[in-house]
Amino acid sequence: MTFRGKAGIYAIAVLLRLVLFFAFPGLPDLLTGRVEISTPVTSFKRLEEGLFLYNHNVWPYDGGVYHQAPLLLPLFSLLPDSTSWPIFTPLLYILIDLLSADALVKIAASGEAGKSRLYTSPRQGKGSTGLVIAAAFLFNPLTIASCVGRTTSVFTNCAILFAIAKAVQGFSFHAMVALSFASYLSMYPVLLLPPLVLLAYDRRAYQKTSVLKFSALNVLVVAGCLSVLLGMSYALTGNSWEFLARTYGIQLTLTDLTPTVGLWWYFFIEMFDSFRSFFLALFWLHLASYVGGLSIRLRNQPLAALAVLLGIFSIFKPYPSISDTSLFLGLFSLYTHLLPLMRYTYVASATLMYASFLGPAFYHLWIYAGSGNANFFYAITLVWSLGQSLLVSDLTFAVLRDEWEVERPEMVGKEAKQI
Amino acid sequence: MRFSSSISSLLTSSLLLSTASASSGYHEQLNLRPLPLSNLLASFNFRSNTSLADFESQNFRLFPRSLGQILQYAGTRELHLRFTLGRWDAENWGARPWDGTREGGTGVELWAWLDAETDEEADAKWLTLTNALSGLFCASLNFIDETRTIRPVVSFQAEGDHPNTTLANAKLLHGVLPHEVVCTENLTPFLKLLPCKGKAGIGSLLDGHKLFDASFQSMAIDVRPVCPPGGECLLEVEQTIDMVLDISRSKRPRDNLIPRPIQGHELVCDTSKSYHSDSVCFPVDHLQSQEWTLEQVFGKSIKGACPLTEPGVPPVCVDVPHSRSIFASEGSTEIKSQHSDSRCYKLASEGDFNLVLTQLDASSGDKELVEPEQPLLYADRSFTGYGQEHGGVQAILTNPGDEEVEFVYMESLPWFMRVYLHTLSTRISAASSIPTTSAETSAEIIKEIYYRPALDRERGTQLELLLRIPPKSTVFLTYDFEKSILRYTEYPPDANRGFDVAAAVITTLSPRKMNIRTTSLLLYLPTPDFSMPYNVIIFTSTAIALSFGGLYNILVRQIVGADEGFESPVKSKLKRVLATITRRLAG
Repeated sequence: MTFRGKAGIYAIAVLLRLVLFFAFPGLPDLLTGRVEISTPVTSFKRLEEGLFLYNHNVWPYDGGVYHQAPLLLPLFSLLPDSTSWPIFTPLLYILIDLLSADALVKIAASGEAGKSRLYTSPRQGKGSTGLVIAAAFLFNPLTIASCVGRTTSVFTNCAILFAIAKAVQGFSFHAMVALSFASYLSMYPVLLLPPLVLLAYDRRAYQKTSVLKFSALNVLVVAGCLSVLLGMSYALTGNSWEFLARTYGIQLTLTDLTPTVGLWWYFFIEMFDSFRSFFLALFWLHLASYVGGLSIRLRNQPLAALAVLLGIFSIFKPYPSISDTSLFLGLFSLYTHLLPLMRYTYVASATLMYASFLGPAFYHLWIYAGSGNANFFYAITLVWSLGQSLLVSDLTFAVLRDEWEVERPEMVGKEAKQI
Repeated sequence: MRFSSSISSLLTSSLLLSTASASSGYHEQLNLRPLPLSNLLASFNFRSNTSLADFESQNFRLFPRSLGQILQYAGTRELHLRFTLGRWDAENWGARPWDGTREGGTGVELWAWLDAETDEEADAKWLTLTNALSGLFCASLNFIDETRTIRPVVSFQAEGDHPNTTLANAKLLHGVLPHEVVCTENLTPFLKLLPCKGKAGIGSLLDGHKLFDASFQSMAIDVRPVCPPGGECLLEVEQTIDMVLDISRSKRPRDNLIPRPIQGHELVCDTSKSYHSDSVCFPVDHLQSQEWTLEQVFGKSIKGACPLTEPGVPPVCVDVPHSRSIFASEGSTEIKSQHSDSRCYKLASEGDFNLVLTQLDASSGDKELVEPEQPLLYADRSFTGYGQEHGGVQAILTNPGDEEVEFVYMESLPWFMRVYLHTLSTRISAASSIPTTSAETSAEIIKEIYYRPALDRERGTQLELLLRIPPKSTVFLTYDFEKSILRYTEYPPDANRGFDVAAAVITTLSPRKMNIRTTSLLLYLPTPDFSMPYNVIIFTSTAIALSFGGLYNILVRQIVGADEGFESPVKSKLKRVLATITRRLAG
């Protein structure tokens, strides 16, 4: 990987985003309004409203529009006024995208995807280079759309990638701090803690401490960091814990039923009132249930566990958007050496393409044309989720088959089945 | 029947005359004002009062007891209740009656000052009040819950004479039900509050068939304490009905209500039109004055004077130029005002009273009606945008006069309309020149904003803007909102009709105080498919089960080569059957 190549990719990515931001002045607002990109907890328009209220001495958390983390408010207040200096917000978002890509390059450079402490893949070294991975992330239309749509989930994505990058470099403290930021912004990344701790443990150059002690230490770091962040938010919002109910509570109770690409919204629109709490608990339990199983089964490859978990979250979290999918696809590109082992790549990618083209069309039919009803868009979100889940489980299968081929080298290239 | 009722009313009147003091009296007045395009504004006003001391000792006199006890129970200092239908056409009809202060937004509107130390206490009393009034007026006032209640800060001022201490301890709450359809069942309890119960006096003109057939009607009840200088404080209840009747529609005979096209030979044509010929006719129905009588327009005549009214106040007044002749029933006396185009009639205590307004001779050149007064402000509000996702509200406020107008613009919006206040913007355009837009002017127009954002399922948005419009200019006030999607149980049965959004209330502060209300709006929300909760639950659960099951299988099962491991019993059985068949076929 040459520096020139990397700089070139980054420069083209920046240029492309700048062109999209400024050559099409209506595009950012159009994308911000799309339900596929902006969810109630990540929408830039809601952030602007929260900022406006914050700057005019109305508590944004005393209203039903703003559901994002309190520390974003002073951060964006520091930026020069967006109406008179419209350049700064796009620059911030482009910078975040570049940082994410850079983190991905670092993860790829470590070779963790092919060779971890406990496991060496027979296909090690056949994967894509960091340059290709960065390009695949930066030129992924989903990434570009989330960047131009200015959804705040790019901050979470950046924090998660940064945490993983630090973990593979062995800086467990930095990784935990980054994960705390991600969890503070979006709550769900806290579920990534077990595989991330294992990853950081595996990548420590010296192995003096036991796993348990190391995990306890890191959990303490995350807990401390989160309490500092929440304490700062508490002080910032006028010594009130109200923001907890507005930011994390809404993800737990799903009071805002705005359509997203996920499965929750329509399910809870149509849910009978008496069963609402039961199914909310069930859905969250389902989301959390993957963490333990994947961390144990993929103990040899914690990075793979992280990638699969992020894929699952992008399907089953309360307010998913295409930005979460772009994060999963970014990590997925680390595992291109496993593509020959995957069985349904064609079906999964065709399904995803089908859903991403028909989704906006069906949404239009429902909301604007009035010639379709809510079931149209709901059906497409089902297809999108199934397609993604096919990709995720196929990746899991490929990772496990790769491990199996170490045990049974004679089976390379032969049919396999599961019993 | 008539005889007995008049006897009883005579009895009550003589009884009351002996007990009633001069201060607690009853006053009623009907004001008739023909409006352009053959409309007629009828303003009914009934006012009765009782001294505060009597009220507190449960001695209600002419004050309606049912209402009085509710007010005492709910600790109400001042009450305003409005039932409104239709739209006041300010472009044609001019300024509103009573300067708009006796008018409500479409549906039901209620605001009251309640004695309460804390907000919780005020909420509890408000709940009592709305539920009690709901029963009294047969209206769905009990649906005014916390999501439809706001606490206005600058828009409403107490009208009564309150001691400063009571007002400091009183909380103002305002609730509105824009979806409520006002109808006859609300008029009957309204009339029951009157001392003469609508059996005599001007109240006997009120009939549900005509009132709710009007182009615009507003029923108002105002209760407030009044302290005349040097006198004892009184509690006054004022009941007002304003209605605008289409004269030709009202004149339709009762037995033949179906409108039928006018026969060709009966059409009156405007011969001044250039295209007028034997085959082309421009009808002049509305341009020409009509002859009408009280009985034709209201369907009945006034059944004598209400005996409880203060003598000396003529109960019926008509605002038409003195040149137009009016005939009244025998026994009544006409009093012509010297200063204005108004004449009033004193009724005979017995016998029906009727008025006949003659048709004005078109050739005489006399004015047919008093020119409507120009209002201080025209207000118009509408939705912008399309689709069921995003939308905008645009209020067009025009100041036609030569004075700068300062006013408060108040909106009470439902929670499912997510307002983005940062998109609030104003644009001013002078009447003559091209529209000019600049940040400086918008800062000058909006002087203050009071905003309380909505909370999902808990409370609605409250927005109060203090605005100032320079003379002869129009201000466009716009903001964006998002239409949220609700749980399927939260939609009304007619979900695709849309949701009503209450009228904006405009209160002018200078040069004089008056009220304007815009029309209510119909908000379309995206709807789910109501027929398939089971299907959705099943489909989504299947999708989750598929992905969970698939992943679970991959995680827990062992990988073996395709030709290894145990063969499944079904498969081996199938193979055996197939082998048998092929053997048999081969012979």
